[in-house]
Parts: sequence; C-alpha cells; structure tokens
Amino acid sequence: MSQQPMNPDELRTALETAIRGKSANKAPFSIAWASGQLSRAHLARWAENHYHYVGPFADYLACIYARMPDRYTEAKDFLLQNMFEEEIGGDRHTDLLIRFAEACGTTRERVEDPDNMTATTRGLQSWCYSVAMREDPIVAVAGLVVGLESQVPSIYRKQTPTLRSKYGFTDEEVEFFDLHIVSDEIHGERGYQIVLEHARTVELQQRCLKICEIGAQMRLLYTTALYWDYVAKDIPMSEIEAIGGGVPRDERHLVQA
Amino acid sequence: MPKVTLHKGGAVFEDEVADNSNLVVRAGIRKFPYPNLAYRCGMGKCATCSSRILSGAEHLPPPNWKEKKMLGERLEDGYRLICQLWITHDLELAQDE
Repeated sequence: MSQQPMNPDELRTALETAIRGKSANKAPFSIAWASGQLSRAHLARWAENHYHYVGPFADYLACIYARMPDRYTEAKDFLLQNMFEEEIGGDRHTDLLIRFAEACGTTRERVEDPDNMTATTRGLQSWCYSVAMREDPIVAVAGLVVGLESQVPSIYRKQTPTLRSKYGFTDEEVEFFDLHIVSDEIHGERGYQIVLEHARTVELQQRCLKICEIGAQMRLLYTTALYWDYVAKDIPMSEIEAIGGGVPRDERHLVQA
Repeated sequence: MPKVTLHKGGAVFEDEVADNSNLVVRAGIRKFPYPNLAYRCGMGKCATCSSRILSGAEHLPPPNWKEKKMLGERLEDGYRLICQLWITHDLELAQDE
C-alpha cells in the first residue's frame, strides 16, 4: 500500500516537531543571554555575526522568488512582501541591528566587515544561499522561513525583556528585537501556510520536514559556536548547565565544539 | 476570547480573536481583520495602522515610545498604533479611511 500524504494539520504538527527538537533556545549562548550573564562585548560579537546571517535575508528570498512557479501567486507575493519589510517597509532591519551593535560598543564598520564573522556563521550564510538557490522553492520556504524565521519570535520574546531589565538597554536600542516579534510572527505563519498548501505529495512533505530539521540544527550550531568562540572563556559550560533548561543529553553532540 | 469590533468606511467588522493577539499579525497572516485593517510596516514607524479606540482602552497598556513619537497629540484623541498592541480584552476601534 502506498503512503498517503499528510493532511495540513498533520503536516503542521510534524513541521513543528521537526523544529522544536533543535530549538536555538537551547543553545548555551541563548541560555546565558536569557539569564543576563553576557557582557556587552559578547553581545557585540553576536551582532557582528548575526548581521551576516540575517543581512542577506532578502537575497535568499529573492532567489526563491525567482524560482517560485508563476502560478503560485500568493506565495510569490508573500516573498515580495517579506523582502519589502526587511529592507524598505520602515527602517531597514539591518540598520536597527547596527544600532543595537553600536550600543554594545562596536561600530558599523566592524559589523559590516565579513572578516568579523566566525567560520560557522559563514557556513550558516552559505547554507541559506544554497537552499534558496538549489532546493525546490517550497522546500526552501520550509527551510528558511518555517525552519529559521518562524523560530525568531519565541527566541526574542525570551531575550528582549532581559535586554532592558538585566542589560540596561533603552527601548530604541533594542528596537531590532521588538520589530521581529511582530514581523517574524507574520512571516513564519505565512511560510507555514505556503508549505501546507503546496507540499501535497509524500516526497515533498518529507523533504520539507527534513530541511526544517536541518535548518533548526544549523541555527543551533551557529548559536552554539558563538558561545565557544566568544563566551566559553568567560562563562564555563558548567555554569550554563547550572542555570537549568540546558540541552537534553541526546542533543549535546550538537552543542559541542 | 476577546471580541474585536472594527469600524471602517461605514461598515462594521466583528470577530473573536485568540487571547493576546496582535491584529496586525493576524491581518498579515490573512485572518480577521484582514483585509479591512490597513497596515504597512508592522514596526510602529508608518502609523498606517493607527486607529481610534472606541471602547476597551482601559485594558490596553500605556502607549509605548513609538506610539508617543508617531501619534503625539492624537493619543489624547484615543488613537493607538494597532501593531504595538496585544489584545487581551474586548476592543472596539475605528480606522479612518
């Protein structure tokens, strides 16, 4: 008997499960951030790396847009809207990231300089370009929008109050995080809608699930590398684990250097 | 679940939304109040979503810095930036054409 494709509700649950297993919230850098243990210098290094991951997001989307079949009008319009909002809907999102970086003590020049990202960040950026340019466009939406972008609201919802209360940043300095709670919630959910509507074969659904899993894993690896490259010398892993909510034993191989 | 009533262009649109909903997020994902709520940037910078609160304002948080910056004296007339609000109680609002 041939396998039947999942209905949209089943597929959504499967996608959420694929992402949840490797949530970046579990990375030691994220745990240290949420508990207020990072210094502004650590956060500056994060911003210098994060710029090279999210900065080209409209590029990634543009590649998917160009390859999305013309008959998927709603999906194409969503990608265009997402690009518009990243770049010119209000303030350019990367400008807000640079504002935060400057408040952490680094400079626009350092943030924009690709020599200041880690090899792992370069790997994440390359993976995003590769997915956008080579995968089936529905699979690419699943990987980049559902697998990566849809995680952002839950991450920033946890981290943003801490930036004000524990790190002492002003509302304007953390605007980058506030706006993503709204815009990425829209983008993530619209991404789900596109995947649920167009991934209607078993083969395509399995590819979407796999790429979500890989995408979430890539983000976890990226965030974890930030810990090992910049933070571990100041805050040992034993302290991170003592905070609680650490990485489950069966996923620890993902966060080892 | 909070009930939201939107007055727009002489018509009234009404529906229930999940607790702690943001109406711009909902419109962005093509749910009520889509397509009747005008919005653009979703980040408190364009004021396209600004609306006058007719009832339920007492349950909303105080205006944040973006609302103060964008709306100024219009806050005194009951205007709020809808993209900045998470709804937890019934709300009635009117959006200018």
